[in-house]
Amino acid sequence: MIQNILLAIRSLIARPLRTLLTTFGIVLGVAVILSINITNRSTLAAITRLFSESSGRTNLVVTNADLTLGGFDEGILYRISSVAGVDAAVPLIQSQTLLADDSQRNEFNVSFFGIVPGGLLVYGIDPAKDTLVRDYKLEAGTFLTEDPNEFHIVLVREFAEENNLQLGKSVTIRTPAGSARLKIIGLISREGPGQLNNGAFGVVPLDTAQKIFERPNELDQVDILAAEENRSPQELDALKASLQDRIGVQYSVIFPATQGKRVSQMVSGYQTGLNIFSIIAIFAGAFLIYNAFSMTVIERTREIGMLRTLGMTRWQVMKQILLEAVTLSIAGSAIGIGLGILLARGLIRVTEVFLAQDVSDVAIPASALISSAGIGMIVTLLATIIPAWQAGRISPLEALRIRGNSDDTIAIQRGLRIGTAFMLGSLIVIFLLPIPEPFGSRVNNMAVLGMMFGGALLIPASVGLWERLTRASVRRMYGREGQLGSRNIERSRWRTALTVAALMIGVAMILSIRAVTIAFDRDIRSWIDVYIGGDLFVFSSIPMRNDLQAKLAAVPGVDAVTPIRYLDIKRVKPDGETEPLALTAVDPASYSQVTSFAFTDSVGDPADFLAQLAGGDTIFVSSVLAEKYGLKQGDTLTLKTRRGERKFKIAAIVVDYYNRGMVVQGSWRDLKRYFQVNDASAYLVQVESDADETAVQQQIDKLYGKRRNLTIQSNQTLKSSALNLIGQTSSLFDVLAFIAMIVASLGVVNTMTMNVLERTRELGMLRSLGMTRWQMTKMILAEALLIGVIGGGLGLLFGLFQSRVVISTVNSTAGYDLTYIIPTQGIIVSLVIALFVSQLAAILPAARAARLRIIEAIQFE
Amino acid sequence: MPILEAKALRKIFKLGEHTVHALAGVDFAIEKGEFVALMGRSGSGKSTLLHLIGGLDRPTDGEVTLAGMQLSLLDDDKVTLVRRRNIGFIFQFFNLLPTLSTEENVALPLTIDGKDLNAYQEQITTLLRHVGLEERRRHKPDQLSGGEQQRVAIARALVTQPSIVLADEPTGNLDSKNSTAIMELLRRSCDELQQTIIVVTHDPRAAAYADRAVFLRDGLIAKELRFKKSMKVDERLSTILKTMENIPEQS
Repeated sequence: MIQNILLAIRSLIARPLRTLLTTFGIVLGVAVILSINITNRSTLAAITRLFSESSGRTNLVVTNADLTLGGFDEGILYRISSVAGVDAAVPLIQSQTLLADDSQRNEFNVSFFGIVPGGLLVYGIDPAKDTLVRDYKLEAGTFLTEDPNEFHIVLVREFAEENNLQLGKSVTIRTPAGSARLKIIGLISREGPGQLNNGAFGVVPLDTAQKIFERPNELDQVDILAAEENRSPQELDALKASLQDRIGVQYSVIFPATQGKRVSQMVSGYQTGLNIFSIIAIFAGAFLIYNAFSMTVIERTREIGMLRTLGMTRWQVMKQILLEAVTLSIAGSAIGIGLGILLARGLIRVTEVFLAQDVSDVAIPASALISSAGIGMIVTLLATIIPAWQAGRISPLEALRIRGNSDDTIAIQRGLRIGTAFMLGSLIVIFLLPIPEPFGSRVNNMAVLGMMFGGALLIPASVGLWERLTRASVRRMYGREGQLGSRNIERSRWRTALTVAALMIGVAMILSIRAVTIAFDRDIRSWIDVYIGGDLFVFSSIPMRNDLQAKLAAVPGVDAVTPIRYLDIKRVKPDGETEPLALTAVDPASYSQVTSFAFTDSVGDPADFLAQLAGGDTIFVSSVLAEKYGLKQGDTLTLKTRRGERKFKIAAIVVDYYNRGMVVQGSWRDLKRYFQVNDASAYLVQVESDADETAVQQQIDKLYGKRRNLTIQSNQTLKSSALNLIGQTSSLFDVLAFIAMIVASLGVVNTMTMNVLERTRELGMLRSLGMTRWQMTKMILAEALLIGVIGGGLGLLFGLFQSRVVISTVNSTAGYDLTYIIPTQGIIVSLVIALFVSQLAAILPAARAARLRIIEAIQFE
Repeated sequence: MPILEAKALRKIFKLGEHTVHALAGVDFAIEKGEFVALMGRSGSGKSTLLHLIGGLDRPTDGEVTLAGMQLSLLDDDKVTLVRRRNIGFIFQFFNLLPTLSTEENVALPLTIDGKDLNAYQEQITTLLRHVGLEERRRHKPDQLSGGEQQRVAIARALVTQPSIVLADEPTGNLDSKNSTAIMELLRRSCDELQQTIIVVTHDPRAAAYADRAVFLRDGLIAKELRFKKSMKVDERLSTILKTMENIPEQS
């Protein structure tokens, strides 16, 4: 056995370049799997830890049933305390604010969830009770005294240092009334609750917070510490039920961990994206390994034939090849683990940007190491099985035979038949079989994959056709020797097919991604035009007072102002379950002066729809919702309100992608009446047609910007930042396409090297007939060019198809209404990349061919 | 004036610690229209001599002059051009391009030279008739027998009307019937087309078609036989066999 392993190692060392390529395949797979595993774990751990540490020893949490409805009356505290089993009820009010210092005013973090305001998170707490559930690690000064009225604040030390705030001095923060001065009496470390809001966090006495944020007697949350004997899971369940019973349905009693779970659910989409990376990396790695080992077997045909004549059995030959694979996979996995850990650090930083939340690395679990290394080895073995089997099938006669071309006519015929069957089957599924959702789009996607697979099988039979189609241009580019090269493509047809397929997938991916991005871009642009109506968008990270509307309207140059309120609500499904939705409340009268809704599938007069909305008990629903639940104009939708469940009549269907389209629009009147909310999230401002928009913007900023802590953005800026976010998301997918192209180019390197090796003697003959090195280079480049052309051409064909199906899938499953636009730019870019990659990748093999020593080549077998 | 002249040719190979004197100082010349057989056991240096004459390798010492050109003074591209236009090669394993038809394989040197093939159609047809493959001009190599493939290779070597044709064991991969046919074809090429030919062979039967047989041993010319035009092949063969008996084993 040791002998065999040594033999395997020696044969690996004998082919350093190939061994390197194979190792790269393994390293790629293992590193990506491990790093994604670590990143996902770290992200989840960070989120869970954040929530568990910031809620500390809390056993249960009471919040408003509709979280964003904001606070509830603190009177509830006594009711909670009186429930048997409750040891302590800890009140909390929280507010997002800013330092009065101008520098922070317009800072916003762009995150995966949208735009989140930067600034300072302030908890108003009862110092005596809060320390029962949360651990604040005091680093300097003192903690809050028990006097709830002191204008004191305790900040996280790092935040204080970053903003040049000193212990014992004052800090001024923004409040609805303007500003408030608080004395910094203590600094805490960035641990436990100190991690909240990335450390931009402070605590003030409860009463002070209620006062400065103008929320008298209000609380956002009550943390409950259960009595010692009530802390078992069953007891807590019972306590939760009895509490809920006692305080009523307008409150939610939850376990603190479930807060983290909500965020985890949001993160899961991002994680799915990363997991797709893993799968692609595995495929790419397997492709490289397969390719490199096939090459090794071809190169060693004679050697293996010789070993067979010496009495080696088929199984022994296979075993030897597989042993090489195992040896390599061990080395590759080790390197992959090292690289994976490094890669994870980078990926975690990227995740932090997406989540706008610090994610510290977790200890790497042994299971992750083992599983990624295990996957690496299994994939290597699987990818080597076919080449090993082929090696086993080499006849002892090969040792004596001159190498000719194997006859693969039968395989090509079979490929043609199976490929055609796949293509036809897929086309029938896509065009003729109406399969209902939710299966239809999945089946269609599978059909597109089947079509690509079928297309790949057709390549061997169709290379001759491609060669004839491109003959003239290849000749123009690379002369007659180029034509000799491009005709060579008809020789190792399956190898060519594999490489072409890799290129094809890369090109198709680029195209689909482009097409979807363009469609989304255009759609969102047109929606934003409506959604962010008017010319200016005025908002603040702290609540705005209602007198602002009149004040804004009075600014010279302002034509009209309308308020908008975004609210998280719940819809009651027919089965009694609830589902979160977003409500956009508008004031129909002023809204129509500033902007308009984009009505779709609605019969009637838009003015009438608005009149109905103003009349109350009426909503508009988004096309996404309408599609999802089959809602029509005139139907009703039940929403959970502060006054219980209410039925709302659907006056019209509108295009709106806010909250992924899970949104309804209601009137300001209903907002007050049913949700008891009266403040605006933002104001849309219409500037008079002859007024200078920038001047008006500056005027508003001058008058109220600092005083009311407002951010005034032109719609152009807002649109571009929203589109930027879309761009960022699609760039994640561009990376996928990029990886696919790299792997494809390595495939081209491999295939062309194999071709050069296999035809060494023939190349030597051509050189002896008087072919110059440069002619030989051109010949090889021409062959690769043809691979690029076929890969690019087929990729284009399938890519256009795939992108159509993807868009119709998005439309039918997510209820979007995307229009397909042919991605002209994507077509050009992907074709150029395919051709460029094919040429770049062929340079090395071409140089190798040109450098051949003629005598060795003609004696080479 | 000989068409090819080799003077004091030496070729030393280093094999690990050993140095092998493949050629130890060979003087050799061939006149236009002459047909020469290079003979010798394996390791005698006959293939090395062919490689040096053909510009496939460079001598350690000495000079090869082909059609008035000193090969050692030329760089790789120039030597390549000399090979392309002045030398025709025939190999043991035929070495045809599997993707090309008979006709296209024959025209390959012209293709490499960027010639307009239309201008050569007649010449190619004549050559195909010469090698007896006019009927199989559209066939691919895998549709031809070994003997036929070698005839294509001969036509390919003749198509540029080179100064010299070099054949390395042209019958080494053929049965005796096909071998005879190939050697007769080379003989005819010499007689009818005045083609200068050097054949490397260890087969005395093949050598019997030449005008002159040169025997190499230990990298040196051990013996030369010149045959009169009138001599029959069988007579030549017996002379060759007799000579071979008199040349001692290699040291």
